[in-house]
Amino acid sequence: MNVVITPAMIAQVVISGLLSGTLYAMVALGLALIFGVMRVINIAHGPMLMLGAYVTFFLYSAFGVNPYLTLPASMAVLFVLGMLLERTLVFRVVDAPELSSLLLTFGISIALVNLAQLAFTSDLRAVEFLTGSFVIGPVAVSKPRIVAFAFAAIITAAAFLFLRNTKLGKAIRATSQSRDVAMVCGINVGRIHLITFGFAAALAAAGGTLIAVIVAIQPEMGQIWTFKSFLVIVLGGAGNYPGALVGGMLLGLIEQLASLFLTTQLSEAVAYVLLVLVLLIRPTGILGGRST
Amino acid sequence: MSPARLFQGGLVVVAAALAVYPFFGTGYGVRALLQLFMWIALAGSWNLISGLTGYVSFGHVAFFGAGAYTAAILITNAGWSWPLACAAAGVAACGLALLIGYPCLRLKGPYFAIAMLGLNEVLRALVSYFEGLTGGGSGLSLPTLQASVPIYYVMGLCAAAVTALTYVIITSRFGLRLMTIREDEVAAEAMGIDTARHKLYAFLLSAVGPGIVGGLAARDQGYIEPISVFPLATTITMIVMVLFGGKGTVWGPVLGAVILFVSQEVVWARFPYVHQLLFGAIIVAVVLLMPRGVLGILQIKYRLPRTV
Amino acid sequence: MTAALELDAVKKSFGGVTAVNGVSLRLEPGRIYGLIGPNGSGKTTLFNCITGVERRDAGRIFFQGERIDGLKPWQIAVKGVGRTFQVTRVFPELSALENLLVVTRGDRAAAERRGRELLAFVKLEQLAGEYAGNLSYGQQKLVEFVRVLMRDPSLVLLDEPAAGVNRTLLNDLLEAVRRLRDEGRTVLLVEHDMKVVMGLCEVVFVLDHGDKIAEGPPGIIQADERVIEAYFGR
Ligand SMILES: Nc1ncnc2c1ncn2[C@@H]1O[C@H](COP(=O)(O)OP(=O)(O)OP(=O)(O)O)[C@@H](O)[C@H]1O
Ligand SMILES: [Mg+2]
Repeated sequence: MNVVITPAMIAQVVISGLLSGTLYAMVALGLALIFGVMRVINIAHGPMLMLGAYVTFFLYSAFGVNPYLTLPASMAVLFVLGMLLERTLVFRVVDAPELSSLLLTFGISIALVNLAQLAFTSDLRAVEFLTGSFVIGPVAVSKPRIVAFAFAAIITAAAFLFLRNTKLGKAIRATSQSRDVAMVCGINVGRIHLITFGFAAALAAAGGTLIAVIVAIQPEMGQIWTFKSFLVIVLGGAGNYPGALVGGMLLGLIEQLASLFLTTQLSEAVAYVLLVLVLLIRPTGILGGRST
Repeated sequence: MSPARLFQGGLVVVAAALAVYPFFGTGYGVRALLQLFMWIALAGSWNLISGLTGYVSFGHVAFFGAGAYTAAILITNAGWSWPLACAAAGVAACGLALLIGYPCLRLKGPYFAIAMLGLNEVLRALVSYFEGLTGGGSGLSLPTLQASVPIYYVMGLCAAAVTALTYVIITSRFGLRLMTIREDEVAAEAMGIDTARHKLYAFLLSAVGPGIVGGLAARDQGYIEPISVFPLATTITMIVMVLFGGKGTVWGPVLGAVILFVSQEVVWARFPYVHQLLFGAIIVAVVLLMPRGVLGILQIKYRLPRTV
Repeated sequence: MTAALELDAVKKSFGGVTAVNGVSLRLEPGRIYGLIGPNGSGKTTLFNCITGVERRDAGRIFFQGERIDGLKPWQIAVKGVGRTFQVTRVFPELSALENLLVVTRGDRAAAERRGRELLAFVKLEQLAGEYAGNLSYGQQKLVEFVRVLMRDPSLVLLDEPAAGVNRTLLNDLLEAVRRLRDEGRTVLLVEHDMKVVMGLCEVVFVLDHGDKIAEGPPGIIQADERVIEAYFGR
């Protein structure tokens, strides 16, 4: 293979990587929160993103609502659905061995996909709203990606401010550091779990809304996002929430860089090999770092 | 007659009936039983590593897929006969297990599960990439061959062999040592048990079955593609079968495979549109209502040995 | 004579907490030693360093003259260092007898005989087939104790063996520890009950905040000012 690397290509890689990285960070932050606070690996995270995308598609196609204005709606719907799932099912596997939470959330995941198939069929759907690209010198970036980046950056920043500065956010972080200490401090841990799960689902939904304008919508679109979010939190460190940012950027850059030299499949393989290597080099997992 | 005797007698009768079935049964029946044997072998193999040591292999289908591709490539490109190719598939799966087990079995809890999941994805991606050898995403067709009946017998032998192996391990002190890893790995180490080596052995043993069975399935279906031999759902099905029957027992995987496979066949036929939904509900129900499985509950309640 | 166990400036910290701060000590073969100190003074951590459960940060550890720091826990155990845990760690879903069998190899019938003998020795022969997790806490402690003996260790580390064991069995347990010594084994035990320490140990080491602050026969140790200060504060 003979690839000549030009500065323009590097600029393109860095910019595209950071743009999609922000989106990854936002979605993965949800997974990281659930893992950090509840010690549950949520396989249904991607399918929740998929549902967020369908909320946007539905509002856009049925009522012509501007897809970006559906953000609050899709986040609210998934916030409620997330809390519902937590209260009925997921709370039962908090503290259970990992096998239980993996299986339970996988069960939820395929059920959600199946429900989406029943409701919307397996046809590919699209929200054609923004098209075209911004061109700055040699770098071209599609408009929906830039808008997605902007919203993701704002939402992620808001999420961090919420975690850092509000009483509820502090309670969430305290619970993820030590549930016992949190309980002693009078925090209602059950309620924190409930809110965390809803909050995480809302973050996934935001991701769904933003990519609904970029890629085709279909019931199985979510699974890959579960895997990507795993990658992000392993690379950056879950429980260590700012790590999600680092991991997101890393994944974005790696993907873009790999796409220069490799096919999509191989760049995916590279990402997973990286995941395993990171897990091995930090045997507790970077996820083990629990500073917030 | 003692219950044990009765059980052994029943076993012999069932085995004999299965052995003569292809002479009387329908083509559909043979195919269905062949698949049931496959699930018994897969579930039993997962039980060896995860049921005994507690290390959740969440990408166990990787060995199935690796076996399927090994056999398919050997048959189509190298012209091997299918029994030989399937034996090679078992060896290949074992080699893969050595390669990934050695580093990954050091990971604990959820990290091991995630790594296994990731490795399965790596394999799938690699198989899609090396098109020249594997046919890439468009799959690989094997030369046509009508061999359902011989494959039926070999598959049956695999199921029996995995179950027999489980029996031998569970009744041995090697098996007890594997269980100490599940119960308390730190204490096991402090008692002088080389847990790393034990885990690796269990992992290798648990990979052979899926490798061979994967080869047989590839030969039987005549066509494989990355998404059909590396799906997470297959791993989950093995796990749910073991959980339903009772993990860490000899007959749990068999019982779970029979019950779930039969109900799946029935459900599949009747409710194709909500099949996934029902499967999801079954998973949730098994996890929440009977995490110890049928035999596990009986075992605790009536103090039955693990071999029941 | 080579020491049964020798520690040379062993150090271990967790983040900012120094749990063991350069402890040196020497155990002669065939004697019973005590290790005491207030809560959190580093006793269990020291055991963990010796048995390889935790990796020491610095210092050297010799078992019968041979360096063992850096070995894996199972290698250390196979060399002849046995231990119990402060909070018992039996294998709950293995029967009491199976708990003992796991460490044996070779002739199974002989191993089972020996296992039953040891269980009988702590009066648990009736419960040989019971899941260890179903036993009372004190019974689990005893199972753990005899499990250590299955390997025939020459150095036995006991972390609070008497805690939770009922009065009638306690004397048997103490007697058993003495018998270990009489068989030529070396015993190092952590114990809060001073009566037990006084009755058993020939030499006692005292830890405080990870430092070894005193060493000597129990009678003298009890009168040592620093020890009193460590226990009762200033
Ligand atoms: N795994 C660990 N991680 C962090 N800190 C630890 C860990 N293990 C022990 N420590 C800390 O090291 C110090 C010594 O603990 P250690 O358990 O060795 O004390 P101890 O003397 O056995 O106390 P006790 O009498 O209560 O059993 C304590 O401050 C403890 O909090
Ligand atoms: Mg202690």
